[in-house]
Amino acid sequence: MRARTRGYWLYLVPSLVLFLAVIVVPFLMNVGASFTRWSGVGTPRWIGLGNYARLLEDERFWQSFQHNVGLIVAMAVVPTAIGLVLAAALFDYIGKRFGPRTASALRAMYYLPQILPVAVAGVVWGWMLHPSYGAVNQILGLDLDWLGDPDLALATVMGVMVWFQLGYPVVIFMAGLQRVDPAYYEAAEIDGASWWRRFWHITIPQIRPEIFVVLLTCTIAALKVFGPIFVLTRGGPGNATMVPSYFSYLNFFQKSNVGYGSAVATVLALIIIVVTFLFLRVQEREQ
Amino acid sequence: MRGPGRWAVLLALAVLAVVMLFPFVLVALNAVKSPADYSTHGPLSLPDGLYLQGLADFWSRVGFGGKLWNSLLISASVAVLAVVLSVLNAYALGIGRVKGRLSILVLFLVANTLPQEALAYPLYYLAKATGLYDTRLSVIIVMTVIQAAFGTYLLSAVLGQFPKEILEAAAIDGAGRLRALWRIVVPISRPTLNVLLIFFFIWTWNEFFLPLIFLISNDTQTVPVTLAVLQGEKFMDATMSSASALLGIVPAVAFFLIFQRTLTRGVTVGAIK
Amino acid sequence: MVRLRGAAALAAAVLVLSACGSGSETPSPASSGQPRVLKLWHYETPDSAMGKAWAEAIKKFEASHPNVTVKFESKGFEQIQKTASMVLNSDEAPDLMEYNKGNATAGLLSKQGLLTDLTEEATKRGWDKLLPGGLQTTARYDDRGVMGTGNWYGIPNYGEFVMVYYNKDLFDKHKVRVPTTFEEFTAALDTFVKAGVTPIANAGAEYPAQQIFYQLALTKAQKPWLAAYQSYQGKVDFHGPELTYGAQTFADWVKKGYIAKNSSGLKAEDMGVSFMNGKFPMMISGSWWYGRVASEVKDFQWGHFLFPGTTLAPGSSGNLWVVPEKAKNKDLAYDFIDITMSKDVQNLLGNSGGVPVAADPAAITDARSKELIETFNKLTTADGLAFYPDWPAPGYYDVLVAGVQNLINGSKTPAQVLDEIAKPYEDNLADIGN
Repeated sequence: MRARTRGYWLYLVPSLVLFLAVIVVPFLMNVGASFTRWSGVGTPRWIGLGNYARLLEDERFWQSFQHNVGLIVAMAVVPTAIGLVLAAALFDYIGKRFGPRTASALRAMYYLPQILPVAVAGVVWGWMLHPSYGAVNQILGLDLDWLGDPDLALATVMGVMVWFQLGYPVVIFMAGLQRVDPAYYEAAEIDGASWWRRFWHITIPQIRPEIFVVLLTCTIAALKVFGPIFVLTRGGPGNATMVPSYFSYLNFFQKSNVGYGSAVATVLALIIIVVTFLFLRVQEREQ
Repeated sequence: MRGPGRWAVLLALAVLAVVMLFPFVLVALNAVKSPADYSTHGPLSLPDGLYLQGLADFWSRVGFGGKLWNSLLISASVAVLAVVLSVLNAYALGIGRVKGRLSILVLFLVANTLPQEALAYPLYYLAKATGLYDTRLSVIIVMTVIQAAFGTYLLSAVLGQFPKEILEAAAIDGAGRLRALWRIVVPISRPTLNVLLIFFFIWTWNEFFLPLIFLISNDTQTVPVTLAVLQGEKFMDATMSSASALLGIVPAVAFFLIFQRTLTRGVTVGAIK
Repeated sequence: MVRLRGAAALAAAVLVLSACGSGSETPSPASSGQPRVLKLWHYETPDSAMGKAWAEAIKKFEASHPNVTVKFESKGFEQIQKTASMVLNSDEAPDLMEYNKGNATAGLLSKQGLLTDLTEEATKRGWDKLLPGGLQTTARYDDRGVMGTGNWYGIPNYGEFVMVYYNKDLFDKHKVRVPTTFEEFTAALDTFVKAGVTPIANAGAEYPAQQIFYQLALTKAQKPWLAAYQSYQGKVDFHGPELTYGAQTFADWVKKGYIAKNSSGLKAEDMGVSFMNGKFPMMISGSWWYGRVASEVKDFQWGHFLFPGTTLAPGSSGNLWVVPEKAKNKDLAYDFIDITMSKDVQNLLGNSGGVPVAADPAAITDARSKELIETFNKLTTADGLAFYPDWPAPGYYDVLVAGVQNLINGSKTPAQVLDEIAKPYEDNLADIGN
């Protein structure tokens, strides 16, 4: 049995080689740069832990992590929950009563926001959320400054992120449901189980691997979210939506402070790696 | 639930779909608006007439045909290569259950977790050293690894649930490991592989940051980088941006609509009996 | 015959030039009829004043350099901004490139040794004579990368400045005259507010709000303060009269309704469009809008004036031509810059709605352009270019956006905001020269 397991290693070789060149070496270079003062060109100057000492005291950086919590809710938790219901509804209700074509057409529409380049999405949402002529205020009959009010901006960004992310779990979950033996559903229907019961007792347990995948990848995406913040608020108003990855971007490309930016990126990466590891541990135990 | 109930469910889902699509309608509206019309009536009005100059101007100004080809080449290569790598890895991790797979998985996922800004400078120096700076190949390699990391994770989770009996039956039949992969594992995971292919293609298509940094000359640039050409220092040309956005998303949407049908077709093949 | 002689003279000139050029470490191929390529990048749109003028310059250049083709690539602002140091540090560097002026941009590249020192060419070809003092500031950088003194690293072709655009129809409707003093200006603002009209279009999420804040501070500022703030010649007190007045007045203006409370999340594009569709009587912003306002406003009469009550206004030279240190055809790059500084190209720039630096005033025929250039000349004659508030420190733009947003929202007091923006400024001071 041991020999059999060892044989599988071969399949990992191509990826490991590429991975070493594209991820491991650059990451180590990044860690190296984090101990220096460097503008990206020329010779870096070694300053030891100087960047990290500065980081510990940098309020903007730590504040920005708090916003990540909200974004995890908006990008991982809410889309997964809604996505589950939608995927199950499309698969186990619409698909059966209106035909698979209707179901896949709806799925396509939910997925489309993922296709819109984030820069364009930012411009369009800017129009829709505009405080004086924006469609959102007009439709809801409100007069809110969605992206400009510091108490509201993060919530608004969260809302846009739900819109943006929703299609991803729907597609993954529906693909997962196709893997499930239809006999389960048939048996449940013969037993007269309600839709919600089937949802709880068949759908969710059967696509548990996909749920984990979606939750983890979305959590990672939320931790390193950059594009939407960049196009919607640039971290504003007054740092109300600042996130670590935009913060590191500012240091890399606006201030040419590559050393400090590398330190921020390293800390962020380590935090994400720890989260990932814990998550995978739980997932392993579940299985 | 018969009669009106089922229509209510359909209606609710359709309304949600319309909400999801609303921003696309806005893009399309402004793409065919003249700049003066936009300045006078703002972005939310209906266009006065059909103004296609923005689309045509943008196309010729940036040589859009060439950018489309670059994007297509890069996205398609990455999608295929990354799916192949993901299958190989997931086979070893999910079915082979090699020792230390959790650590390996975490290691792979690091590719997905690293903020891309952190990789920019190191990858730039590596690309320069290998002569790959400003080549499409550099972006293909990097994106393949990043996407394959995600694919490996998703597939090994799915293959972890793969019914052992089927593989054991195949082993008794004398099928080798590679044969078992191609003949049994790949066909059965087809729906998931299709999803990965679509995701990789679209994610790579929309990737902005790495192409921006690696593809410097206009001959190698991709569509999203080209869209940003319109983003000026002090202001942007909103109508032309919309026009370019429309041009930029049409291929990705078309790709998705064509291939998403295979997602449904996968049902019969994919069902594990 | 004349043409032939011209060509011969040109060939000789090219020979001399390439002889000069071969002194540097980039050997240029012998110019004896061998085809050469000038790699040129800029990020102006084709229909902008600069885009038009430079397209003409390319034509002229190819006509006067028959063996050279210009390989022009239109770039995105964002791309150049993010990747400049990477590109310039590689073999893919162009021969000539448009780049942003200021310490954080051209200054940084010059400090990193990525730009060619143009001092010799600038004096030899007389570019230094063409550029009056305030415009020179952004062309020269010292070895710390601080602008104002030192070698020439860039050549600006045009100028830009912040002014007040106004909607004449709305002014007439509310019987407001163009103000000439600060008191008249605030009186005008009051008139509009009383009539229920928010007078000033604003955009808090981008540069416009901080320029208004800075313009207000400038009404209390003198030259030494400006030198201290922008070029670190002396200490800047963030709670001194200038910035305190700027922050306090800005906050007051929001309270009084001169500036909309809900403008903090808006982009510059929103501001421009709302002015251009007649929703606001005034917009305080830069000459970069001029051409667009002129071509897109059809429904009302409009004009412009300098912000009253001070001779200073945010403004500077436009972006620079820079020659990368790794450029392979520096001699051609110099020739090209020379053509862009010629009267013909400069006049075209002026007649297309830009602000030329070396045009022939008599040759500017377009009435609107003439008006704009006259205003600019008035400003430069008074040595009134005060640069931009975000220039002193890299990344300061976002700090100011955040600070002024807090003023608009009222979530922080002016004093708190000043503390908030003082810190990054002082952190940067400690970093200069490192």
